[in-house]
Amino acid sequence: MAGRQLLMTFPVTATSHSLDEYRARGGYAALAKALREMKPQDVVKEVAASGLQGRGGASFEVGRKWQVVQYDDGHPHYLIANADEGEPGTFKDRWILENNPHVLLESMLIASYALNVRNCFVYIRGEFDLPYRRLAGAVEEAYAAGYFGRNVLGTDFACDIVVYRGAGAYVAGEASGLIASLEGKKSYPRNRPPRLTVRGLYQQPTVVNNVESLSNVAGIVLHGAAAFRTVGTAKSPGTRLISISGHINRPGVYEVECGYPWMKFLDEDCGGVPGARPIKCVVPGGVSSKVLTGAEIKELVLSHEALWDAGSTMGSGGMIVIAEGTCMVSLLQVILRFYHHESCGQCTPCRHGTGWMHRIIDRIVAGGGVPDDIDRLYYVSKFNDGTTICGLGDAAGYACTGILDKFRDEFEYYIEHKRSKYGGSLECLKSS
Amino acid sequence: MPEIFINGQAIQARDGQTVMDVAREHGHFIPYFCWHPQLSTAGNCRMCLVEVEGRGLDIACNMPVSKGMKVFTASDDVKAHRKAILQFITLNHPVDCGICDKAGECTLQDYHYEYNGEHSLSRDEKVRSTKFYNLSNRILLDNERCILCLRCTRFTHEVSKSMALGVERRGDVSNIRPVEDRPLSEDPYSDNIVDLCPVGALLSRQFLHKSRVWFLQPTPSVCPRCSRGCSIQVWHRKQEWRLKALDPRQNESIARVTPLENPAVNGPWICNVGRDLAQVFERARADEPMLKGRPVGIAAALDEARRIISTARHCVALVSNWGSNEELEAFKRYLGEVFHGFVKQDWQPQPGERIEDDLLIRADKNPNTARARELFGDDAPHFPEGTDVVLVWGEGFDFAQIPSRARVIFLNSYLQPENGHADVFLPISIQTERAGHYTNFEGVVSAFEPCFEKKPGVSDAEALFKALAAPARGHL
Amino acid sequence: MKHLIPEFEKLRERFPAGFESSLVLPCVRRIQEDRGYVADTDIVELALYLGIPQIQIEEVLSFYTMFRRKPIGRWHLQFCHNVSCSMNGAESILAHVERRLGIKPGETTPDGRFTLSHAECLGSCGTAPMMMVNQAYHENLTPATVDALLEELK
Repeated sequence: MAGRQLLMTFPVTATSHSLDEYRARGGYAALAKALREMKPQDVVKEVAASGLQGRGGASFEVGRKWQVVQYDDGHPHYLIANADEGEPGTFKDRWILENNPHVLLESMLIASYALNVRNCFVYIRGEFDLPYRRLAGAVEEAYAAGYFGRNVLGTDFACDIVVYRGAGAYVAGEASGLIASLEGKKSYPRNRPPRLTVRGLYQQPTVVNNVESLSNVAGIVLHGAAAFRTVGTAKSPGTRLISISGHINRPGVYEVECGYPWMKFLDEDCGGVPGARPIKCVVPGGVSSKVLTGAEIKELVLSHEALWDAGSTMGSGGMIVIAEGTCMVSLLQVILRFYHHESCGQCTPCRHGTGWMHRIIDRIVAGGGVPDDIDRLYYVSKFNDGTTICGLGDAAGYACTGILDKFRDEFEYYIEHKRSKYGGSLECLKSS
Repeated sequence: MPEIFINGQAIQARDGQTVMDVAREHGHFIPYFCWHPQLSTAGNCRMCLVEVEGRGLDIACNMPVSKGMKVFTASDDVKAHRKAILQFITLNHPVDCGICDKAGECTLQDYHYEYNGEHSLSRDEKVRSTKFYNLSNRILLDNERCILCLRCTRFTHEVSKSMALGVERRGDVSNIRPVEDRPLSEDPYSDNIVDLCPVGALLSRQFLHKSRVWFLQPTPSVCPRCSRGCSIQVWHRKQEWRLKALDPRQNESIARVTPLENPAVNGPWICNVGRDLAQVFERARADEPMLKGRPVGIAAALDEARRIISTARHCVALVSNWGSNEELEAFKRYLGEVFHGFVKQDWQPQPGERIEDDLLIRADKNPNTARARELFGDDAPHFPEGTDVVLVWGEGFDFAQIPSRARVIFLNSYLQPENGHADVFLPISIQTERAGHYTNFEGVVSAFEPCFEKKPGVSDAEALFKALAAPARGHL
Repeated sequence: MKHLIPEFEKLRERFPAGFESSLVLPCVRRIQEDRGYVADTDIVELALYLGIPQIQIEEVLSFYTMFRRKPIGRWHLQFCHNVSCSMNGAESILAHVERRLGIKPGETTPDGRFTLSHAECLGSCGTAPMMMVNQAYHENLTPATVDALLEELK
């Protein structure tokens, strides 16, 4: 177990996702506490005091986002749980949706109470089947038990929820793209200002939080911000759900206390790399975060600040381990193909930049690379950074330069010899 | 009133303004493709990136002013990024300016020279897309040239409200497409998107490959096709580029009509009917005075007209509401005593034409009913007992309604059967051959100027009225 | 589409007033489940029913990868070929399936049973390689498990 745990605190069984078992574990006590003992602004204060950071990728503090919403501004407010988990390498929200959906629902109820939200939404990616069925089932259970609807727990508080299914678009995971999608349109992100907390869904103040971020709220409210802060590090309170995949013996979702040693996590918790091969590099938090080499991560702990100092980010907690012998040129090809495929096409730099990078890497892989292609990839990355409407363009650039910075020699080798230094392989056979 | 600084200049901005607004008001040019003052902010082209001290780069069109902000519109960083944005925009844009109608008035062309000026950094093939996509019976779309600024889609959603255009697919294969089965052809304002297009993606079928724009000049004019009186520009061949050998008719023809922005009347838009003025003005022209269908000289025709008038007991005039203020006033001045004038409706709605809406189009399909009625009243034309002379000015009147024993003097510009039935026929000039003013339904007076020489043999109505009023033989 | 209107009415009750536009995605999804694809007439009828511009539905249908306007095979095999799946043999399993079915991604078998597609990350990286068969995820694929599955799918 990678440190203390806040979310994965029970054995997963065929029925552990049910309302009965959730209640048996103490579920919905936090909601009762919030509604009966706390004022809405106390809840916001508590969440702000917890220092809970967003778990979707940007690590923006949840409390600070909430504080922007004016409780009594006369507008309807909306809350959306972002369950459009699509960052390659990330599958941790799926764990919550499948195994503990009620912790999300309870947290959303508390958040709705705190933010004066009458209608909240879960935007779940369209391809998710079991997670959707589990969540939808939990919603029905919660309605039947009187947690949603009018007079929740006998109070004046009323709240309704809709589980909204996406339809296949990575960019819908971006909060404003998600809102466009939830408005029944193509998922074009919006320019800020205005912030979504000022004008979001149907131009009304809207809070969009990641599933895991929200799911921490129930515990924070029940046990207090101070208790939450005893877990993790000072700058990264709490835990992170890390979904780990790639060249690793025991892939899956792990709850890791922030500050836990990285190599210990990989070697002891995840069983190390198949065949005990050395780690070439790790994608720390989804492909949009910059890769860190095996040498770079050796002494690192898993915390927002440690990764930030190392030039990367915890991102979405989607960790991919890449063993020595893997061709980084081929890997980058997969990544750039992905961004090209997922660019919504709205703004110029990303629309053309992602395609441009994809064509360059395809040509390199096909043996048609020229030395200045590497400069060109840097050029496109540079001018996608900070020039686009949403972060997808930046992310494509980070992913690209993250790999180029550290493995430039492999690209030069490929271009010069028209073949991969490592046979073009991405696979690494699992040790049997 | 936040004070902001643009390129060091202190400016009092107003709350709610964007940096783009303020910069434009104070003469700091920031390049843009997608932004348009009459459309919602899309912020997708990223061409208007500016630098704000301490905050880095962001787009000016969506940047609210804030107190003390220091904006730089041409810092080194801004210049480098503009260059890069143009590299992205031209990445898949064909270099076909030589065969593109937009060349010469293309924003992308201008910006490329101004802000980039370098060859493409890409060595890969351009993404191919649809050429000459049939967007409507009036407009073709070249998707390879399209830079997806979405001005056209926003126009159909926000201004014309036909909701006729959208974007199909995503990424660099996104294409503008019309809604299926309800084509853009039904949008009576559709051609505005051709003007709005900052590149040569949207092409007017009428104008397709008709002329290079630098051979043309615009003359300010007023659309006569309804009582809105939209300000327009009539484009025709420049004097120095007149054709001798090829098709000299091009020297005298309207190449295209575009809106002339006028906040008091039409904003930056006009309807499609206004674009089709050639269909009105380039009909076969009458250029010979006639007496009962027999060609005569102008002097003989005037003599006969004067004789008819001088011997009449009661003269009725059907006054044209296509006449300019000056012509109507001249008629009133010279012939107002002699004739009992009624305002005639020269034009009626054409089949399929939109009658009226709340954007521009008015049900009265004539340009100057307002001034004509001020001078000649609201009564419908009728012929009191004893009417023995009828002067008809302009087209659109059914001659069968004229009392059979009345003699008819007819002033008209086009070849029409009635010309030969009149006792005296006098050919007159058209709007594109003279200057004048129209008064629109709201009382706004707009001027038009001549585009072409007057056709030989025709006279200005104003001069004819004066001549007809002269007691003896008058000369034009 | 019209026979689905009672269902759509129920769906509408769950949303706040004024959210008609939001119903596009769920309604389109339901139509596609019902018919197998979204027909031109569905678009016209849905636009009328929701009172939203038809072009919005057309845009949505072409923007999202899950919607289609043409029928496809009975079983839609979508192979993830993103990072983690590629690192765990997705390409070789896909090649195996291509050989077995005699089609490439984007194609349908002549008997109309299978349509093969590529997919980008489906959030199943820890159980890579994976494919989606219609709605269901099939994970930790090997040539043997894929063969067994294809046998089952008639």
